[in-house]
Amino acid sequence: MKKTGISFILNNLILLIIKFYQKYLTILSFGSCRYHPTCSSYAKVQFEHNSFLKALYFSTIRILKCNPLFDGGFDYPKVRCMSDDKSQLKKLKFKKIKVKYWKVPLNNKYCLILQHNKKWDK
Amino acid sequence: MALNDNTMNKEQTQKRILLATVISFAFFIAYDFFYLQPKQELVNQANAKNAIALEKQQDKNNISNLNQAPVTSSSVDNTNAAPVSNDISSTKIVSTIKTQKNIFEIDNFGRIAQVTLTEAKYIDKDNNQIKLFTSNQLRPLEVRFSDPKINTESFATNVEVSSAKLDATKQKTVLVLTQKLSNTTLTKVLTFYPDGHYDVKAASTNKATFFITPGFRPDVIADMYTDHGALVTLNDGTLDIIKDTKVDKSKELIGVNVASAFDRYYATVLYNYDVSMAVSIMKDKNDSPQIFIHANDKISLHGYTGPKNYNNLTALDKRLSSVIEYGWFTFIAKPMFSMLQFIYSYVGNWGWTIVFTTILVKLILLPLSHKGMVSMNRLKELAPKVKELQEKYKDDKQKASMHMMELYKKEGANPMGGCLPVLLQIPIFFAIYRVLLNAIELKGAPWIFWIEDLSLMDPYYVIPILMGATMFLQQKITPNTMTDPVQQKMFQFLPVVFTFFFLWFPAGLTLYWFINNLVTVTQQYYVNRIFAKAKVERHTKHINEKSHKVSKKK
Repeated sequence: MKKTGISFILNNLILLIIKFYQKYLTILSFGSCRYHPTCSSYAKVQFEHNSFLKALYFSTIRILKCNPLFDGGFDYPKVRCMSDDKSQLKKLKFKKIKVKYWKVPLNNKYCLILQHNKKWDK
Repeated sequence: MALNDNTMNKEQTQKRILLATVISFAFFIAYDFFYLQPKQELVNQANAKNAIALEKQQDKNNISNLNQAPVTSSSVDNTNAAPVSNDISSTKIVSTIKTQKNIFEIDNFGRIAQVTLTEAKYIDKDNNQIKLFTSNQLRPLEVRFSDPKINTESFATNVEVSSAKLDATKQKTVLVLTQKLSNTTLTKVLTFYPDGHYDVKAASTNKATFFITPGFRPDVIADMYTDHGALVTLNDGTLDIIKDTKVDKSKELIGVNVASAFDRYYATVLYNYDVSMAVSIMKDKNDSPQIFIHANDKISLHGYTGPKNYNNLTALDKRLSSVIEYGWFTFIAKPMFSMLQFIYSYVGNWGWTIVFTTILVKLILLPLSHKGMVSMNRLKELAPKVKELQEKYKDDKQKASMHMMELYKKEGANPMGGCLPVLLQIPIFFAIYRVLLNAIELKGAPWIFWIEDLSLMDPYYVIPILMGATMFLQQKITPNTMTDPVQQKMFQFLPVVFTFFFLWFPAGLTLYWFINNLVTVTQQYYVNRIFAKAKVERHTKHINEKSHKVSKKK
């Protein structure tokens, strides 16, 4: 994702709202989500990895689907990842990193994104 | 050790979150009580003082006072051109018109000085009939000429009236106001209708251009909960709201068909859907909007001054309902009001209307919620397995939720209601809140026994407490899958927080929430019972089979 432009600003705004919601308001709607990861974590990942409109579209669809008419279950955010981009590989810097996500490639274009759990480090 | 620290921290953060929630609720309530309400009183007092001071001052410099017309040329500094709104002390009532719904008083400058609502419903807290306007503001039908000389003269010349007292309760009645000035003669032909609205045809001779105004907004209830100011609708279907004290620059609008100045429940409106008007919005000394309609040398308009009652307004013209606005939730509050109004036409009581609407909405959503409840019950039978999982992944919420989801998948049942139903509640809730605040129909609307006004809080806190009780019950009989004991405790504490929060909410809104909970509890109880019965049946069947086998062996 580009680190500039209106999409970036809007994404961060939404991320701020999600952060606030997850910190203070989840208790009001606790235990309602039919999916793993929950709608808010799904939206968070979407807005971190996709352009604003795309993320908004996928998050809205996800929330609309989160009702008893749908089965729920596992639904990880799917984003386009640049596995075939060779230039990306050349830019790689080898240093100690903090793992935030695991990108699981589906095919040449798309990855599933799994959130990393800090507990797994130990 | 590290693990222990972690759980400690978690407990503490959750306690902090709970504390933050409670404090923020408390803050909003305190803010309302100690800041908004006293401030409103202060404003009222200041207004009263200002009115007296202004009248005194105007006595002194009556002649030097200019009621200037709006100046459209941009070269002139707008603040100078802004008309000074005032009440010339020598005004007196020259004509009184009575209709079925109100009494108009026309002053010696041909303006509507006061409108008194005579319907029994419209009384203030001292049981006086409601008078719409305060003394020191711009009056409806005030005319200002663009030529300053004519303008000054017009505010020193009395009008001639065709009749000092008119009765329009039976049929429409015409009043002619004539103001003879040295260069021009202004005539206003007012036709009053029994239903309380009027038509105005104003014309000047010698092509003297003038402006006419629907007046400054009524000043009965203008508080901080709802919008008040000016509203214009345009031919293209758009709507422009100019709030009080928010006008920093004069504004020109064309293609206008409705110009309205409004407070919470009342409005003064000039409209004509057959012509497109040009309108200037000027600011007064409080930066509040004053509307001036460009009349050139003649104009024909319809007028309405009174409550923003849906039926009254749509009886005049269907499109006039746009004058009623519910803030930025209008898009959902308006359909909500239409639905409530429709049910009210059969029920006849607003309290019961809310009750039936809630039940109706719940019934429509029944297939959805029923499915959720059934699968929730199916999972109740897996309780031991769920507990085992919870124990196993006590310290890793993410993993616990993952394994739980796997279990659901295996069993083909998902106990959660989903995010959408929860989110859908929010707009419905706000829509009802805004309708309760803004719709004059719901002002002073009773329900049963002690509830005399659904738009005010329950004076004895009965409904909020019932609401809290049903919420508690709902939590009790709804199987939940909460893993964390601290979180569970917080969850159980929620009904208390909600009850506290709802104590000061409009009774109608609390009623909605209460009925909503009640229906859910009943439904859950019913589903639980069916499942319990089925379980017993299966059990007895099982035992029977067993005993059968045993007897066979023998």
